[in-house]
Amino acid sequence: MSESSELVRLPSTVALHARPAGAFVRTAAAFAATIQVQANGRQANAKSILEILGLGADGGSELRISASGDDAAAAVAELAQLVTQLA
Amino acid sequence: MASTNGNGLVGLVLVSHSASIAAGLAELVAQVAGPDVAIVTAGGGPDGTLGTDGGRVLEALREADSSAGAVVLVDLGSSLLSVRAALAELSDDEAARVVLADGPLVEGAIAAGVTASTGAPLADVAAAAEEARSVRKL
Repeated sequence: MSESSELVRLPSTVALHARPAGAFVRTAAAFAATIQVQANGRQANAKSILEILGLGADGGSELRISASGDDAAAAVAELAQLVTQLA
Repeated sequence: MASTNGNGLVGLVLVSHSASIAAGLAELVAQVAGPDVAIVTAGGGPDGTLGTDGGRVLEALREADSSAGAVVLVDLGSSLLSVRAALAELSDDEAARVVLADGPLVEGAIAAGVTASTGAPLADVAAAAEEARSVRKL
């Protein structure tokens, strides 16, 4: 069991909505770790599309991605990279 | 079996009294869930009016079902009756791969669509649709 966390920023023109949110959740779902995302003072389960959409994270928002579990470090690294590459 | 959904992902059937609601929701779900999930609509009555069409629902169930099955979401009242009537027309084998989910149409379809896109099994996709009931909007 391990913990991992990273702070990333969405590209200024990409909100975590619709297609980008779906891509984020699909990527998160591939990991066994429990993964949370914090933005705008809210927290969401990274594997729940409805919770991720509910964050209302606009382009340029900071996201705190935190994970707990055997593959936590890999999950955070992959999601952080995905966020910065969203277009 | 008249299935046209051969990609191995669980499909979705969206049943609404309004063809526009069903079509618009299908478009939204496809954008969030990606292009691989079969999303089949049964919206409106037989003559294009507001209502439900049991025959169209039956077709939609068969169209959306793959080897992985299909999850059905309905809007209101008689949509449910139409789905139940259509389910009764399916063979036992077909009916075993169709789950009528007790969740909100919009949120349930989004949650089920994204879950289906990950390759999740039928029970997980149906559970995602039903869990949408408890996700707060505010």
